[in-house]
Amino acid sequence: MRPRLAAPVGAVFAALAFAATLWGWLLAGGGTVDLPWAPSWDLRFTLALDGLAALYSLLATGIGFAVTVYASRYLPLHLEHQGRSEADIPRFHFFILMFMGSMVGLVMAQDLILIFVFWDLTAIASYYLIGYDAHERDSRRSALMALLVTGITAVCLLIGALMLYAAYGTFSLPALIEASEPGALLAAAGALIAVAGLAKSAQVPFQFWLPRAMAAPTPVSAYLHSAAMVAAGVFLLGRFYPLIQKTDWLLDALLVVGLGSMAVGGILALTRNVLKQLLAYSTISQYGYVVFMFGLGGEYGAVGASFYVIAHALAKAALFLTAGAVTEATHGETRLSHLGGLRRELPFLMVASGFSAAGLAALPLTIGFFKDELFFEAALERGGVFPALAVAGAVLTFAYTWRFWSGIFLGERRSEAHGVPAAMTVPVAALGALVIAGGLYVAPFARLAQAAGEVTFNAPTPIDPAYHLDARAENLMALATYALGVLVILSRSFWIGAAEAFARLGELAGPERLYFASLKGLNAFSDRIHDLEVRDLRTRVATILGPTGVLVGAGLLFTPTRGAYEVGAIGPLDWPLFLALILVAVAAIATVFPRRHLTLALVLSSVGYILAVVFAFFGGPDVAMVQVLVETIMALLFIGILVLLPRKVLEREASNPIPRRRKVRDAGVALIAGFFAFAVSWSTLSQPALEESVAQEHIRLAPEAHAKDVVTAILADFRGLDTLGEITVVGIALLGIATLLSRGRLW
Amino acid sequence: MILVSALTIAVLFGVGSYLLLQRDLIRVVVGIILVSNAANLFLISAGLSRGQAPIYPLEEGVEVSDPLVQAMTLTAIVIAFGISALLMSLVYRVYTSHLSLNLEDISEAEVREEESIESREVAED
Repeated sequence: MRPRLAAPVGAVFAALAFAATLWGWLLAGGGTVDLPWAPSWDLRFTLALDGLAALYSLLATGIGFAVTVYASRYLPLHLEHQGRSEADIPRFHFFILMFMGSMVGLVMAQDLILIFVFWDLTAIASYYLIGYDAHERDSRRSALMALLVTGITAVCLLIGALMLYAAYGTFSLPALIEASEPGALLAAAGALIAVAGLAKSAQVPFQFWLPRAMAAPTPVSAYLHSAAMVAAGVFLLGRFYPLIQKTDWLLDALLVVGLGSMAVGGILALTRNVLKQLLAYSTISQYGYVVFMFGLGGEYGAVGASFYVIAHALAKAALFLTAGAVTEATHGETRLSHLGGLRRELPFLMVASGFSAAGLAALPLTIGFFKDELFFEAALERGGVFPALAVAGAVLTFAYTWRFWSGIFLGERRSEAHGVPAAMTVPVAALGALVIAGGLYVAPFARLAQAAGEVTFNAPTPIDPAYHLDARAENLMALATYALGVLVILSRSFWIGAAEAFARLGELAGPERLYFASLKGLNAFSDRIHDLEVRDLRTRVATILGPTGVLVGAGLLFTPTRGAYEVGAIGPLDWPLFLALILVAVAAIATVFPRRHLTLALVLSSVGYILAVVFAFFGGPDVAMVQVLVETIMALLFIGILVLLPRKVLEREASNPIPRRRKVRDAGVALIAGFFAFAVSWSTLSQPALEESVAQEHIRLAPEAHAKDVVTAILADFRGLDTLGEITVVGIALLGIATLLSRGRLW
Repeated sequence: MILVSALTIAVLFGVGSYLLLQRDLIRVVVGIILVSNAANLFLISAGLSRGQAPIYPLEEGVEVSDPLVQAMTLTAIVIAFGISALLMSLVYRVYTSHLSLNLEDISEAEVREEESIESREVAED
């Protein structure tokens, strides 16, 4: 198998998935799969292709297709620059497809636990993709950060789901939407679920993981930002919106978070020098818009949020792919300050990405114009200060998009550049064409957004974006945005100092510091415990025996003792057993004294053999025979190992004197252990026998199992699974021994 | 009889834990074997009845020893044997890589190794 074949395979699968989703949505008109999954836990495997699911799965598969095509050329070059072999290619495509699959599953799932499972699957896929350059420390750390931030908050989602289940007795989302009543419980559950969604879509104060995740290869970033992972966060808000909107303060909280993210992301995007960092902060601010629209509430908010996700995904994926192509063309240059004037070398890319940039900046004749139109409408519907805030956010977007595009293609040339393969520009052009197509004929996109908005809003949303050539408020706001945007671009020298100070403040006192501090603290704590426990084997034994002893002691103290202990009668026939038991005890004590190992082995065997006698007196000839057999083999094994070890080493151990203080301490520990064992076994053995027992049944049934010996019937028949387990243990032990003795090479 | 059984179990367990605390790895293995012997004895003496062996033909009117605990003890003996054999070969393997059977030597070597790993990590930072 050639590793490069992974790319076409991945692309074909992504294309097929896209076609299937399109077919399912347009021709089949959606559909539902509903299977009992774990009925005893009320879990159902329910998938439904509704409007919301169609929107996000079309994005996940469609942009996934563009990304895999792009990666077919990008990835071999990327690996070549890093001096890695092509054998790493299939891993990338595997995880992209896994990501795609879990995204599609997530958006279609209708069962809370199913949603949680797919939610975590996306986190796992993203961990491997962000950490794709695993030899780089930075990459590994970023992957871990993304996994921790989204994984820990995912637990909030699970808790929220369980709270809802406890209150309403179902995990089915449609049933919950119908049944749930506004109240403290719904508010708490909704807030927990919203936290999970906000952390995944990198909203304030969880935004710090996203810029770090830029350590991933560019196709991963493009995918992560536009169609998966970050999009999954706002998807979750959209999916649970019917529950969330029943609580007013939750909507207000979403407004605040959305505004905060718009501001932080927008301002920092204006200060970043590294291309992908700029785009990362832009993503934070763009999803801030979406969260803001959710917070505004109303039908404009619901449809607007859905439409915004489409428009942003198309534009942002293209811009990321542009950044990757530019870096490739300039031999690894990623800084805006060292780029510029590439219009001559990359004219095609310049035009293609220009479309997408125009879309992000919301210029007319692009799909982006309508995203802002809906955004403004939603803000106007709410009234108050919100229209002004909306314009401010749009101005920031306009300014940093211009900064990105003009910084690469216009101005002076600052670095060497060469052309890039067509496979790396065609996906950008295709996405750019879609951005323009949406600007010219918005109906299909609007229809999709409407269908998604209906699911989110849980009611029909008759909203149609269109061009209106009049002086209505939305158009005036758009014009104001362009004018103010140009002003912001031109006055850069006035505000850049303040913006950078803001960025530095975030580094000094931002939530990222808290993340690192808590990570460090937890690490130190676990190191402390680790050092306490595993200094050597003895401390390990002590950390098990010590707490166990305390627990057993507490158990003994708090158990009523009256009638709990019995000395037990000794009948005339019991004397042989009595003597044998005494002999076992004496032989056991004798193992303490021999210094030479061979003597020790022989004394140990004598304990075992006398124990066989005890077993025989207990009425168990089978047990006695097995004990004799095992003891014999054990003695042989012991002597065999002693032969393998050099005499010198053994003699050193034998003559190694044990200090008196340690002897006393060990004896004290042994006495305490023995005392506890005595108390536990005495109290247990003193329990009166039951009238009826399973054993009587076994004895009665043994002839029916064609056995004369009841014990063999139990082992081979009644409790045959136990014996299977036992054989497995012996088999594994045997494998282990063979491997150990052949120094790790079994074959 | 109950008291005597309990005392014997206690002695086996106590001596076993004494040996577990030793520095000599072979004595540690012996300690584990003694502890598992204590467990086996505990199992068999926890039988609900004691009398003739549970093998047909059974004598009428005489109590039959509890066959269930015997079956369980049998399983336990075999598993304990497997584990002890594995431990013994582990001890041998430890000897071949550290050339010592003394826990103190081995944990010193471990600490040294860990410190060298840590210092390498610090250097990477």
